[in-house]
Amino acid sequence: MTALATPPVTGRPAGSSPHLLHWLLRLHRPALLAWTVFVLVLGGLLLWVGGPLTEGAVEGWKQYHACETGGCAYDPSAVGRHKDWYMYTTFAVIGVPVLIAAWSGATLTSRELEHGTAQLAWTQSVSPARWLAAKLAVPAVLVAVGSGLLVGLHHWAWSTGQGRLDSAKSWYDVGTYAANGPATAAMALAALVIGALFGLLKRNSLGSLVGSLCGTGLLWSVMAIATPHLWPTVTKFSSLKNDVPQGSGIIVDQGLVTSTGAHVADPHCGGSGFASCQARYTKLDAVGYYNDYHPQSHYWPLQLTATAIILAVTALLALAAFRLLRRQTGPSAPARKAAAV
Amino acid sequence: MVEYRIDRHSGVATYVQIVQQTKQALRLGMLEPGDKLPTAREVVEATAINPNTVLKAYRELEREGLVEARRGLGTFIRKGLSITPADSPLRLELDDWAERAREAGLGRDDVAALFTAVLDKHFQGED
Amino acid sequence: MTGTAAIEAAALGKRFGRRGGWALRDCAFRLPAGRVCAVVGPNGAGKSTLLTLAAGLLAPTEGAISVLGTVPGAARERVAYVAQDKPLYPQLSVAETLRMGADLNTDRWDASVAQRIVDDGDLNPKSRIRTLSGGQCTRVALALALAKRPELLLLDEPMADLDPLARHEMMGLLMAQAAESGTTIVMSSHVVAELEDSCDHLLLIGGGRVRLAGEIDELLAAHVHVSAPAHAVLAPHTVVESRTTGRQLSALVRPSSTLDTDWRTSTPSLEELVLSYLRNPEAGAAPAAKTEETAV
Repeated sequence: MTALATPPVTGRPAGSSPHLLHWLLRLHRPALLAWTVFVLVLGGLLLWVGGPLTEGAVEGWKQYHACETGGCAYDPSAVGRHKDWYMYTTFAVIGVPVLIAAWSGATLTSRELEHGTAQLAWTQSVSPARWLAAKLAVPAVLVAVGSGLLVGLHHWAWSTGQGRLDSAKSWYDVGTYAANGPATAAMALAALVIGALFGLLKRNSLGSLVGSLCGTGLLWSVMAIATPHLWPTVTKFSSLKNDVPQGSGIIVDQGLVTSTGAHVADPHCGGSGFASCQARYTKLDAVGYYNDYHPQSHYWPLQLTATAIILAVTALLALAAFRLLRRQTGPSAPARKAAAV
Repeated sequence: MVEYRIDRHSGVATYVQIVQQTKQALRLGMLEPGDKLPTAREVVEATAINPNTVLKAYRELEREGLVEARRGLGTFIRKGLSITPADSPLRLELDDWAERAREAGLGRDDVAALFTAVLDKHFQGED
Repeated sequence: MTGTAAIEAAALGKRFGRRGGWALRDCAFRLPAGRVCAVVGPNGAGKSTLLTLAAGLLAPTEGAISVLGTVPGAARERVAYVAQDKPLYPQLSVAETLRMGADLNTDRWDASVAQRIVDDGDLNPKSRIRTLSGGQCTRVALALALAKRPELLLLDEPMADLDPLARHEMMGLLMAQAAESGTTIVMSSHVVAELEDSCDHLLLIGGGRVRLAGEIDELLAAHVHVSAPAHAVLAPHTVVESRTTGRQLSALVRPSSTLDTDWRTSTPSLEELVLSYLRNPEAGAAPAAKTEETAV
């Protein structure tokens, strides 16, 4: 199967490869155009959010803080507008590329197989493996570049508000964490390959689209659950007097710590300020809080580990797609045992 | 140049039709020794019949000595099937005989019947 | 065996889905190169499956098929295939489709061949494929297939969408291709008469199996249509089909020795032969196929 990684030997001049790319781009021109427009529009929106909208919101907060002492009128709309559009763009950066990739992966393969145009290509001296390689490579590059660009711009739009906006999202806000990092771009690639795999399996547009979305959703959920556990956490102990455990970031586990050092669940009774709660703490032999969490310094290790895992899964799925296609269409060289009669 | 017309419903094998039509063209003087027969490609493009059928017909004509295949050049007529020339002694004698039959009061059909009977007597077992 | 086989199949079978029925089973035949072969059989007999297996678009479930002496997947450049529904990219124009053919195929591509076929059909090169009629699509698909100058041309119901004039013209074109380049042509149809004059080899498929395979001349010569008294005993000849009407018995037999001189005999037409085999699924396969099975 290692042969699949390299283009199969067909005796064609190597220079003919660009033609296949040229025709792929020609055949999928509308999709290419739509993706470009989407990236440009969303990218523009992110520039707007990170630039003028952030400045407006910073000004809004300035007015608000001035009013705290003076007691005057202030306009909250600039702050609200930034908050809304930041949220919209965050969701768009996380969701839309993945959905588009899942959809295009499924339709790229299944629709052609359904209409017989894939078979047309395979009888024009283009082996199925080369066809699939091109079909995956072109959109993969487009998705990676587009999604990567959007994630980068989102990161920038988020950073412009840091320390200047009271309403700015923290780095560990679920949406912000996802939209800021490369794992989301990797997820779009995975969605593309999952789509292509289901397209080969189902060979019909609707079935493969459903399979693609379900498969992508599953991988997404697994990664969302697994991400906090991909890097060792930092544990912080704090006094019961604080009423809440100290340390902010992605929290993995927190609760009470006893005099023996054991970790027990926090009854969440309101804090040591309440007598009844203090009594329960005493009964539990609690001496403080513990907090297992990821501080901001863990941002890149977490993102990069998740990205690597998603890319590895993507590579495995791509290999599976090639193997499946080979099983469906037969070998392209007579090497395998004495297959020839 | 001869152009073949294939009648699918004649009941005559396709290659035989080609042989017959070639001979007919020879008899009518449409083909003469040295003439080139159409290539198999030309025949099948016009008639949509199998190339091997044409080749089979040409082989049959070659076997009968009517044509010869020259490698890389095509198939050429070797000898004609033309009727005896107009000024041959045999023809002059027959001319003479027909004239006498007419003078003897025989009609066209009578002469034909008489000729056929004599023909049958002398050419038994031949087509 | 002499010469290269264009297609050779041994114990070939294809099943769709793990629990699906067999579309093709136990197929063994050998098609010598340079033949024009008719793949004949009723709808759903497995003709299309056989052609897609030969074109390297599907892998067999069991057995093996070899094309031009190698696996179908390795012969792509030398094999052309036109599917039954003539798939083309609807968003491309006629001219673009031909340019794509030139780009995706090797140096063998002959643009003038494609151009001539398209021009003969009065097709506007700028027309989008999606605006073409079924017959026009067939023309473009055949242009793609022939311009590739294949050694083996596989055509699934190629003439179905064409009017009689275009049908005659396209068949002439295919025959010219066979005459000129020695291309092996395999075409399927459920209308035998359509292929009778153009083909010299027959592959009769029924119920997913090869019922009859061989040179048409030899197959016809091996069978005799017999009219005999109703009480006549046909044994030891192999009976394909027999029918008794009143005092008369009429049968299609494969004689194993000299036939009774009292019987009236005639050579069957290809269509009669095919229909007799299809009407009688239990009639034995042709001897040609049998010997292949042991020889392969």
